[in-house]
This record gives sequence, C-alpha cells and structure tokens, in this order.
Amino acid sequence: MAARGHVQDPNDRRLRPIYDYLDNGNNKMAIQQADKLLKKHKDLHCAKVLKAIGLQRTGKQDEAFSLAQEVATLEPTDDNSLQALTILYREMHHPELVTKLYEAAVKKVPLSEEYHSHLFMAYARVGEYKKMQQAGMALYKIVPKNPYYFWSVMSLVMQAISAQDEKLAQTMFLPLAERMVEKMVKEEKIEAEAEVQLYFMILERLGKCVEALDVVRGPLGEKLTSELRSRENKCMMMYQRLQLWPECNALSYKLLLKNPDDWQFYLSYFDSLFHLMDKSWSQPEEGEHCVEGPVQTTVAEAVKFVVDRMEEQDKKESRPLRGPYLACLELIHRLRQRGCPDEKELGDPLELMVQFFGKFGDKPCCITDLKIYLHLLPPEQRSQFKNRLGELVPLGEAGEDGFGFPGDTKALQRHLCVCQLSRALGLQHALDTEGKLRLITELKAHYHHGLQFGKSCLKTELQFSDMYCLMAAHVYIDLWTETGDENMLWQCLGMLEEGLSFSPSNAQFKLLLLLLFCRLGAFQPVVDLYSSLDAKHVQHDTIGYLLTRYAGSLGQFAAASQSCNFSLRFFHSNQKDTSEYIIQAYKYGAFEKIPEFIAFRTRLNQSLHFAQVRTERMLLDLYTEADVTLSLEESVKAMGVCPEEDDIPWDNMRDNRDLTVLVSWDPKDRELTEEHRRLSLEEESVWLKVRALTLRLLASLALLGHAPSPWNSDKTNENGISAKSSTLQTLLSQLDQTLETAAQITEKHTQYPFLGPPSSRLASALSSGSCHCQASALQLSLTLRELETTGLEMLSRCKGEVLEMKDGRLKTQPSLLETLVFFVETVCVVLWVASYSANVLRPLKSSLQKKKKKKKDSSTAMPVVMCGFQEWTGSLHGVVTQALDHVKGQEASLTALKLAALTLEEGYSQTQEECGFTRAAMDKVQTSYLGSLQEMGDLLRKRADSLKSLKI
Amino acid sequence: MLSKMTTLRAFTCDDLFKFNNINLDPLTETYGIPFYLQYLAHWPEYFIVAEAPGGELMGYIMGKAEGSVAREEWHGHVTALSVAPEFRRLGLAAKLMEMLEEISERKGGFFVDLFVRVSNQVAVNMYKQLGYSVYRTVIEYYSASNGEPDEDAYDMRKALSRDTERKSIIPIPHPVRPEDIE
Repeated sequence: MAARGHVQDPNDRRLRPIYDYLDNGNNKMAIQQADKLLKKHKDLHCAKVLKAIGLQRTGKQDEAFSLAQEVATLEPTDDNSLQALTILYREMHHPELVTKLYEAAVKKVPLSEEYHSHLFMAYARVGEYKKMQQAGMALYKIVPKNPYYFWSVMSLVMQAISAQDEKLAQTMFLPLAERMVEKMVKEEKIEAEAEVQLYFMILERLGKCVEALDVVRGPLGEKLTSELRSRENKCMMMYQRLQLWPECNALSYKLLLKNPDDWQFYLSYFDSLFHLMDKSWSQPEEGEHCVEGPVQTTVAEAVKFVVDRMEEQDKKESRPLRGPYLACLELIHRLRQRGCPDEKELGDPLELMVQFFGKFGDKPCCITDLKIYLHLLPPEQRSQFKNRLGELVPLGEAGEDGFGFPGDTKALQRHLCVCQLSRALGLQHALDTEGKLRLITELKAHYHHGLQFGKSCLKTELQFSDMYCLMAAHVYIDLWTETGDENMLWQCLGMLEEGLSFSPSNAQFKLLLLLLFCRLGAFQPVVDLYSSLDAKHVQHDTIGYLLTRYAGSLGQFAAASQSCNFSLRFFHSNQKDTSEYIIQAYKYGAFEKIPEFIAFRTRLNQSLHFAQVRTERMLLDLYTEADVTLSLEESVKAMGVCPEEDDIPWDNMRDNRDLTVLVSWDPKDRELTEEHRRLSLEEESVWLKVRALTLRLLASLALLGHAPSPWNSDKTNENGISAKSSTLQTLLSQLDQTLETAAQITEKHTQYPFLGPPSSRLASALSSGSCHCQASALQLSLTLRELETTGLEMLSRCKGEVLEMKDGRLKTQPSLLETLVFFVETVCVVLWVASYSANVLRPLKSSLQKKKKKKKDSSTAMPVVMCGFQEWTGSLHGVVTQALDHVKGQEASLTALKLAALTLEEGYSQTQEECGFTRAAMDKVQTSYLGSLQEMGDLLRKRADSLKSLKI
Repeated sequence: MLSKMTTLRAFTCDDLFKFNNINLDPLTETYGIPFYLQYLAHWPEYFIVAEAPGGELMGYIMGKAEGSVAREEWHGHVTALSVAPEFRRLGLAAKLMEMLEEISERKGGFFVDLFVRVSNQVAVNMYKQLGYSVYRTVIEYYSASNGEPDEDAYDMRKALSRDTERKSIIPIPHPVRPEDIE
C-alpha cells in the first residue's frame, strides 16, 4: 500500500509499523498499534485514518467511517492522511468523498501541483467532467505543463460525449475544445503525439473531416508515429466519411501493393471503385491528379489488379498469401450483386475455389475462408465441387471398410476440409439415416486413424484428427434431433468422452459435452467440464450463461449459487477497476481510450447476464434459505431488495453472450442469424422480467406482512401502508402484463440452432403452470391485504359509543349498531370463503407433504399459497378478536351507564310523570342496545370458534 | 454480406467479448480486466488483433516498452501472443511479432524479449526461427495450476538495430529467480 522510499519524517517512522501490519493483512495489530500511537500523539491524524482502514477491513464500516470523518473535517493537508483517506474512501466505495478531501486541501495549499493533480484524478474517478476541466486549467496555471492543459481539453470532450443534448456538444463543448487546441497550435506549443490524437478526435467528432485531414497530412501529423500506419488509417477514415472516393481508392490501391493480405483495404478498394463507377467519375485534367496517386475506375482495372496480385503470389517461392485469392472471390460476389457480366473475366467460382483449396486446403482456416463464398456455387454444382476437391486429397488404398486414409497431417487436413465443406454445403444433412450412420463410421475411422500423427502431442495440444470426432458428434446430434433416437445421443456422448481422453485440452469437446449434459438435465458433470475450461473474468459474462442457464433450473442450487457468485464478483469489480484505468489513460495521454473504457464499463453494467445472475442469486437465496434459517423479511432486508426499485436497464440491455463459441460447420440456412439473436435476447429479457418481478413482489410481501396494522397505528403509518400496498398492486399488474407478453413469445415456438443459444426457461415455466400459480398466490396476498384493511376499516367505523351521556344529556348513535351488523354479516361471508379455501387447500397440502417425503425438492409455488392462507386466517382472527373486544367494551360501558344519575331537567314543559316515562323509554333503548350487542357478540364468538377449525 | 473489417488493427475493449476462440486454449491466460486496460491505457499501439474476413478474431499480440535507456535496457516486451487453433500455420504469429518489433524499433528499443514455458517446444522453436535466442532461464516463473508443478521459463531475446553489437542478447549462463528479473 505504502511504498515510501526515504523515511525522514519522524511521523513516517512512527506510522511505518501500522502500514506494515495493514499491508500484511494483520488488521487487528494495525488497530492496536494505531491506538498505542494515538495515546502518545493525539494529533497524529494519519494514525486515526490507518486505524479506520483496519476497522473497515474487519467489517466495522460505521466505526471506520466516523473515525475517518473526524479527520476529514479537520481538512488535513499532510500527504499521509490524504493518501490514507483516499485509500479508505475507495475501499468504502465512496470515491466522491475523495474530491471533497482534495478540494479542501487545494484551498489551504493553493499552489500545490500534487494536490491539484490528485483533485483532478478524484474528479475523473467519479466522472465530474466540468470540474475536471477547471481543475486541469488550475493545474496548468500553477505549472504550465502541456499534459495538464490537454487534460482540461479532454474533459471538455467528455462533457460533449456525455451531454444529453447533442446540440450542446456540437455548439459549445467541442468548439471550445477545438479553440483551446488551436491556441496551442498557433503558439507552436504542441509537443506530444497524444495532443495531435486529441486534436484529431475533436475535429472528427465535430464532423470537420477536411480540417482533420489537414492535421493528419500536415506537419502535426508527423507526430503520429507510435501506431503502425496511423496516418494512413486516419486518412482512410476521413476519405470514407467525406466520400472522397478517388483518394480512398488510390490509398487502398497503394496499401494493397505494399501488403496484399490486408483485407480491409480490399473492401475499401472495391467500395470506392463502385462508388466512382456509379458517379461515372473520370480522371481530371493533367496536374490535378489525386494526392494519393493513381485512381482505378473500371471493372477491367479492378479485375486486372486482382489477377496481378494472384499471379504475384503464384510466382512467390515462399508461403503464398490468401488475401488476393479471397479478394478474387469477393470481387465476383460484388459484381454478381451488381449484375455485372464482367465476373466471367475472373473465372468460374468453382474453379477458383478448387484452386484455393489446392493452395490452402491443408490450412485449418480453409473452411472458414471458403465458407463465406459457397453461395457463389449453384446448388447443382455442390456435389461436383466436393468431388473435385476429393481429387486433390491424397489418400491411401481403401481398406476392407472401403475407406482410404491420409498419409500425413497435411493430407489429413485436406480430407477434413472436404468433410467440413460438404457439411457446409448441406450435403451431410441431405443424407438419409443410413447415409448419416455410414458417414459417422467414416468420420470415426478417420478420427482413430489420425490419432497416430499426434502420439507425441503434449496434453496442452490438440490432436490433428480432433475435428473428425467433433463432426461425428454433430452428425449424431443431427440423427438424434431428427429421429428422436436417444441412442444417438448416448453414442455421441461416448464419442466426445473418447475424444477428450486423447485430447484433454480440447475446449470444443468440453463445450459440446457440457451442452449435451445440460440438455439431458444432468448438471453435475458440467461443473467439472466448465471448470476445466478455466473460464475467468470477462468470460463469466460471455460464456457464463452455459452454466447459469442450467444450474438452477436443473435443481443444483449450490452450484447455481456458486456460479452466480463467480460472475457477480467479476461484475462488481468492474466499476472500481475501470475507473482506475480511465485515470491511467489521462496520465498516459491515451485519450481515445477514455470513451472506450467508459463504453466498456457501461456495456458490462448493462449486461443481460449481470442482471440475470443478480436476480437469480437473490431468488436462489430466498428459495433455499428464507423461512429456513432467516425469516423472509430478514432475508429480504439482508439482501437490500427494495420492491419499489428496478435496477435493470431494460431499454439498454446488452447481450454479451458469445453465442458462436461452439464451432459449427452447418450450412447457412441452419446457422445462427441476427434474428435468432434478437429473439433469444427478447425471450431472456422477458423471463428475467418475470423473475425480477417475482423477487420484488416477494420483497414487497415480506415487508408488508410485518407492517403495523392501522388499528393500532396513527395516520402516517396508515399512509405508509397504503403506499406499499400500491407497490404490490403495481408490481402485480406488471407481472400480469409480462406473463401476457411471455405467452405471446412462447407461441412463436422459436427454435434456435442446436449449437446456438439455449432457449430460456420461459416456455417451460409457463407450461408447467408455475408462473400462473405464483401470480395467483401473489394476487391472493394482495386480496387478503385488502380484505384485512377494509375489514379493519369497517370495524373502525363501528367505533364510538352507541349510547352515551354528554353534558347531562343522553346521546344515541344507532348507525353504529347498523354498521356493526354489516361488519358481522361480512365476517360471516368472509369466513365461508375461508372455509371453502381451506377445503381446496387441505388436500393440496397433504399431497404436497407426501411428495415432500418422497422427494427432497419441493415445488416452490405451493407453500406461498399455504403461507398466504395461514396469514389470512391469522389476520381474520385478529380482526374478529378486535371486534369482540370492541363489543365487550361497548357492553361494559352500556352496563356502566347509570341512567338514574341523569337528572332530567324538569321545567322543559315536562312534568315529573312525563320524565318517568322518558326514563323508561331510555331504559328500553339501553337494554335493547345491550341485547343487540350481546347477540352480535355471541355470533362473533361462534365465528371465532369456527375460525379455529379452519386450520389446514 | 461482409461487414467492414480489418485484418490487422488495434485491439479494443469490445474484442474482449469475442476472443474466446483464442483464449480457450489451455496455454493462453485470460487476465483480469485491469490487466488489459492497463496495456490499453499505457501501450495501446502494442496491442494488435487480427480479424478474419468472416469477422472471427484470429489472434492477438499484447506488449509494452520498458527498461532504462541509460543502461541500454530500453526494450519491447511481448506479454502475450496467441493465435486461435483454426488460424494457425498461416504465419500470423510471425506477422504480429514483426509488427511489435517494428514498433519497438521506432521507439528506439535495444531488443525485444519474451518469456515462454520451457515445455512449450512449439513456441520456443517458432521464436528461434524468428531470430530469438534464449538469454536466460527463469526458475519457476510460471506458478502452478491444476496440480501441476511450477514451471521454468526461457527469457528469449532478439536484438534490434540500435544494439549494433548485439550486446543485449549475450546469454547469461546461470538461471535466475523470478524476483531477480526486472
């Protein structure tokens, strides 16, 4: 942590042991040592901070924080305290506090280059671009070093990039940045390559491509030396944006002469050529020629150019380059797209591809190269093509089984390539079952034969014939999916296991085995397979789905939880990690990397897989632990799930899954398409939404269940509860909507290529009924909630004295009695519904218990209903008890009411006799009220008893 | 049908999402994000990727420039070089090495060096063919994984034109420990 070379300051010497303890992870000793030191030197603030670091690292965040704040409020200016606080705040994930720290420090020491620079970096860490701009300038004023000035310029560019309003970026931030750089250019103060890069970046973002070109071509451009071909690449970019096709064409031509294997320049060469042809561009007059050299404008020239490049390669002694030959096929493809007859000048695609195979058939990439141009062959030529290639494969005499084998690895690779091409041409798929079985026999024979070439291979190397094995597995899968013959699947697994035994590092074997085991529902072997792939870090995002898609859904909860954790750890470190390197990029002047790093961080934060593992991890915890070791409420609180909060970026979800990680040689019509990718993301997102809503609903339920009931609480609490019920309501209607969308999606029955993305759990969740059962159960909770609340409300309206004496007068409220009757009637209805529900649920529960005894697993949906019911009857009981108490209270006060004490005023034209009659009438009312109350009390008591029998 | 693509270009963060076909190789390490970002922030020109016409990543090289100029130790270093199995035997690794050497030449380096597992005979031979020689052996440079023992590395070097007398590559006869190398 602290690499201090020269220890001169006595404080440094005193602090040294604490640093050492912290560095060695001995936090307890660090704290003790700090305490010791603080006894002697009360004002050694840094010791306090170091103690705080120790506390933070031993989980005492609150203590650490308040200790740190003690020092921070003193606004320290000593290096030790500042650095220690910076470390502490970063570990506490409070980088914004570091800015406050250095803001105070530069106020006290306004001329410190170091503190200003720390302040700039602190702002950079939290992305405070405007303040960075100011901090950069402040630095430059203290110490006029170019980097500081350009930090400020780059901060303007960042303000432009992050501006919501593109207009603001274009009219304010970028022009200002441009002027700042221009000023330095005019004063001839431009020093570093990074500064020119930044200038170019600004002009490019402003769309000032002509000016950008001038910079690159001019004297400033001479500074662009680090990256190879930096100036050419930048010029090409600008030519394309400016649609300067002559320059684009001439530069591509020039670069291809130098390096006839650089694919990008063939593309820009062809693009520009056709643009020029479309515009009927012609060479200008003498003297006005293109700055980049000769321009080619006709198909004839392009054909000649490509043919010349091929001839050049043909004549070469050394290894020929693939570029020119592929360029020839690319040109045919483009000419054909334009309906241009000149393609014939280049030759027959079949012949050209045969030629290509002749030259490169022994390279493993031959299939990858030719695959993109197979569409140039008409369907009727496919078999002929395969046969022609076969002629170029030297195989030995055919044996008894009718197969001839290659004599060396080059011949093997050629033969393999023909197999791969015939698969890509759809010839394998066209075979009938018998044909496919024979093909498998042939591939197996070649696989086994080829193993002899790899006898000396290390464990880390692949066998030369591995791909035969993989292809045989693919054909097995074809057979399995077509015929449903499970035997094919078992043989396929056997084939791959055998392959792995000879080639233990073959990732493709592992990936396919993994996929097949998952399809079979057997997750256990997958754990070892995946871990032997040694997938780490970013791979958790790109191929982690292979694990997380299946672990939980196949009932391996521990493994599921673990794989979610691996991924989560990666995602969580992203935020801190990337900020650090954004700062590094400022330091090293890698300005173009700054927006790139920020985009990268965003891409990870918005990852579909991140949201999935986040949600699944919490659901898993609830399923396995809530109401087992902790209550649901405690679990929800510990996870910090807030039902109101949705932290998933639904509109910007990034699908970072590598869906082509499994090798496939399937024909184009069976390959993964963009549409597949879109559908898969859509499906996964909807499933994620179902899961995320379930989680939030459970959280909402848990927090609601323990809220104080309005009967005993004041108004504000009542409001709080109604707000929370409304969350439940909102979430439920969102869940309903999502399930509707889900139903529409599953109706499409999208089939993905076998080696492509696995289908989500959506369809099976829906068809199992689990989604709807859970939704109904959750709906029930809302209904119950309403029931309880309205019940209590009704009861509260019964409150008050039906008969009381006030100011010596008798006051009646007969409506209270009526309300009480409504309440009692309602209680009856609710109880009958409850008893009906109990009858429905009772057999369900007993069957569930039987199942539970049989299987260890239990369905997750049912207990929610059961708990819901129990909660419901519980709260019903509560309401009835409260009602009974109320009735009892009323009875008591009625009985206690001594009407005799009432002095009826005489003189209101009432005689004493008349008063006697009035008293009698009052007595009757009182007795009647009492009678009503008693009857209702009896009824309620009976209901309360029957409620007890409602236990399920 | 073909998207715009480049054969040899600067490695960018987005390539981290696409390099599985290269990195699932057992001898290719997948580093933590900070490691890649450090190289991209400090030596972006030394991080080059090759892309196939179909868009697949073929291989990449990652390197840096370091060492003291005064002590004539300023040099280019190859941190990682890997080519996906299906794009091997095309001379791609050689091409990437050539580019790294050219960048190091431009920076005025005295030599280029790299570490390689002594057991990785294929790689050792390839580097020898490219003009590299074993400068020294580093004991237990590669730490153990999956129950395998620690492994030694060869520190291989190739002199650049600035080292006219090729002093930088005179082999050190005794093996050194990892903590003794700079």
